[in-house]
Amino acid sequence: MSPEEAIKNDLERKFDFLNGNITIKRARRIFVDVPFERFHDVLDYMIKKMRCAMLSGITGLDEVENFAAIYHMSPEGKIMVNLKVKISREKPHIKSIMQYFPIAEMYERELEDLLGIHVDGLPEGRRYPLPDGWPKGEHPLRKDWKGAGLEMKLEGTDA
Amino acid sequence: MGVITKIVNWGRRKSPWVLHFNTGACNACDIEIIAGLTPTYDLERFGVLLKGTPRHADVLLCSGPVTRQIESRLKMIYEQMPEPKFVVAVGTCACTGGVFKGCYNVKAGINTVIPVSAYIPGCPASPKALIDGVTKLLNSLEESPKKK
Amino acid sequence: MHNTGDVKVPIGPQHPALKEPESFLLTLRGEKITAASVKIGYNHRGIEKACEGRTYIQDLYLIERICGICSHSHSTAFAQAVEEIAGIEIPARAKYIRTIVAELERVHSHLLWLGVAGHEIGFDTLLMYTWRDREVVMDILAQLTGNRVNYGMNTIGGVRRDIKAEQIPQVLKGVDTLEERTKYYIKIAGEEPTLINRLSKVGMLSYEDAIRMGAVGPTARASGVQRDVRKDDPYAAYADIDFKVITHNTCDVYGRTIVRVLELMESFKIIRQLLAKLPEGSISVRAPRKIPAGEAVSRYEAPRGEDLHYVRANGTDKPDRVKVRAPTLANVQAVALMLEDRYLADMPIVVAAIDPCFSCTDRLVSINDADHNSKNTFEWEKIHRDSIEWYKKRGIDFAKLNKTF
Repeated sequence: MSPEEAIKNDLERKFDFLNGNITIKRARRIFVDVPFERFHDVLDYMIKKMRCAMLSGITGLDEVENFAAIYHMSPEGKIMVNLKVKISREKPHIKSIMQYFPIAEMYERELEDLLGIHVDGLPEGRRYPLPDGWPKGEHPLRKDWKGAGLEMKLEGTDA
Repeated sequence: MGVITKIVNWGRRKSPWVLHFNTGACNACDIEIIAGLTPTYDLERFGVLLKGTPRHADVLLCSGPVTRQIESRLKMIYEQMPEPKFVVAVGTCACTGGVFKGCYNVKAGINTVIPVSAYIPGCPASPKALIDGVTKLLNSLEESPKKK
Repeated sequence: MHNTGDVKVPIGPQHPALKEPESFLLTLRGEKITAASVKIGYNHRGIEKACEGRTYIQDLYLIERICGICSHSHSTAFAQAVEEIAGIEIPARAKYIRTIVAELERVHSHLLWLGVAGHEIGFDTLLMYTWRDREVVMDILAQLTGNRVNYGMNTIGGVRRDIKAEQIPQVLKGVDTLEERTKYYIKIAGEEPTLINRLSKVGMLSYEDAIRMGAVGPTARASGVQRDVRKDDPYAAYADIDFKVITHNTCDVYGRTIVRVLELMESFKIIRQLLAKLPEGSISVRAPRKIPAGEAVSRYEAPRGEDLHYVRANGTDKPDRVKVRAPTLANVQAVALMLEDRYLADMPIVVAAIDPCFSCTDRLVSINDADHNSKNTFEWEKIHRDSIEWYKKRGIDFAKLNKTF
C-alpha cells in the first residue's frame, strides 16, 4: 500500500463521512472534502494522531455559491494533504487554527482581508495584506468585487 | 547664469547626491541599483553618492509602480527634497506600472504621484542602463539647470 | 545610542508624520527586545486578483515579477501547477533546463544574501566581493536566458530557449570560478573570529520552535530541520540528481550562513550533473490555450524556502484562482521569536538572516521603550548604523577585516 493510500484509509476508517470524499490526485497529493461542522474534528485528528506538523498555507476561494478554504498540510513536507472546507456565503466564518499553527494567523488574516471570511478567534492585530485605511466591505478576491478604482481614498491618509 | 549658480551646478553635476526609494517594487531594480555601485559598474566614479535622507538629496532614484500604502511617503520624501530636485523612474514599473498596471493596489508609475525628470526603462533596468540614464541627466543639468 | 549602565532613549523620530505603517514593532527594556512583531504587506500589489483577469501566459510574466530575486522560482511553480491540471508532461530536456536555471538562481540569490549580510554587520568588503563574484552567474544567466533577472525562460509546456552545446563550456568555466570563490567564503566563515563571534548565538531558533513556527528554507535547516522540497517532493529534474540537503545544528545566524555557503557548493554539483546528463529532444510541448477544469498544488524550493502555488482552472483561458504562498511569509513569525529577549543591535542581521523577500533596508521600526514609556519610529538605516557601533564598543569591529580581506 502506498503511503498516500495509507493516509486515505486512516482517515476513512476514523471518519465515515469522508468515504468518497478523498481523492489521491497523484503521488504526494491528496485532496479531502470536509464538511464545515466536522472540520476541526478532522484537523485535530490529523495533527495529533497523524502528526501533520506542517501547514504550508491556506487558500481562500470564492466558488460563487459558497466560499471555501483549502488547508495545505503535510506530516513531514512530503505528502500534501489538502483539506477543503466549504463556507457559507450568507455569514462567512470559520474557526482559527492558530492554536495548532501560529503561522496560520497570517493566512487567516488574508481570508478576512481579501475574501471577507471572518475568522473566529483571531487576536487583535494589524490587517494583512491590504493597507491600513482600505475601505470596509471591499474584499478584492470576491468574484463580485467591482474593483475600487484609482480614485479610491485610503482612510486616514492623503493617498 | 550667476557665478554662484554655476558653481553649485557644477558641484551638483560632478557629484549628485542620490536617494534611492522603493515604492513597492519586486526588488530587481533595487538590486541592480546597488549592483551599479559595486566595483564592476562603479557608479561612484561618476560622483554618484547614495545618501540616506531626502533633505540632502539632489536626485531621487525611484523603483516600483507605487503601491497605495507607499504613496503618502513618496509624496513626503519628494516635498522634503530641496530644489532643484530630480526624480528618476528606474525600471518599467516606475515608468508606467509595467506588468502591475491594472492591479488593484497599484498607482502604476511614479509620475502618477510626483513629477519625473528621467525615465530608465528595463525589467529590470540594468546597471548599464542606469549609468546611461544618470549620465544623460547629469549632462542635461549642465545645459539647463532649471529643468525639473 | 546606549551608554553602558545607562539606558538612553534613542533620539526622537526621524520623520514625524511618515504616514507609513511600521514593519517592525519592538518593545525594549534596557537594551533588550522583550516583544517583537513583524508586519509585512507593504508590498501588496494585488497580483492574485490580476491573474484571474489575464491569460495563463500573461500570468507567467506577472508571477515572475512577484520577486526579482527568485523570479524563476515563482514562474516555474506556476507553470508546473498549470501543466499538472492540463495533464501535460513536459519534455525531459525542458525539465533539465528549468532545473539548471533554478540552481543558477539559487547561486545568485545566496551570493546576494552573503553580501547583504556582510553589509548589515559592517563587513562591507564582503558585499563588494560577493557581488563582484555574483556578476559571473549574472553573465551566465544573461547568456542562457537573455536577461540578468526575470529570465522569461518558462512557457506552459516547457521552456522557451534551448541551451546550445557551445554555451556549455562557458557555463562550466563560470561554475568552476564560482566554486573557487565559494571555497574562500567557506574558509572565512569557518576561521575568521570576528565573523564567527558576530554571528554565533544570534537569532536563536530551536529545532522545536522552527517546526512549530513553520519556518522554511535555510532558516529552518540551520536549526537541524531536514526539509527541502527538492528532496521531499521532487519536481523538474531533481529526482535524477545526486545532492545533499544541507542542515546545521547551531540554530543561529551563523548556521544560516553556513547552510547557504554549503548549498552553493551543492548547486555547483547539481548544475554540472544536469549539463553532463542533458537529454536530447524538444524543449516544449504544445499547451492548450484553455486549461480544463481542475486544480493543482505546486511546490518549489526557492532560495528562501518552500514556495507554494495553488491554481484552479475552469476550462477557459484564464485561471479561476491563483494563490501564491512565498517562503518569506512562512518565516516572519519565526523572526519575531528570534528577536525576543535579544539585543536591539542584533535586529538587522537577524531579520536579514531569513533572507526576506522584501526591501527591508527601507522599512520603518517602531520602538516602544517600556522603561521610559515612550514610543518612537526609526528608519532601518539608523538601527543598522547603531548596531554596528554597539558591536564595535564590544570589540567586534570589521574595520580591519574590511581593509585586509
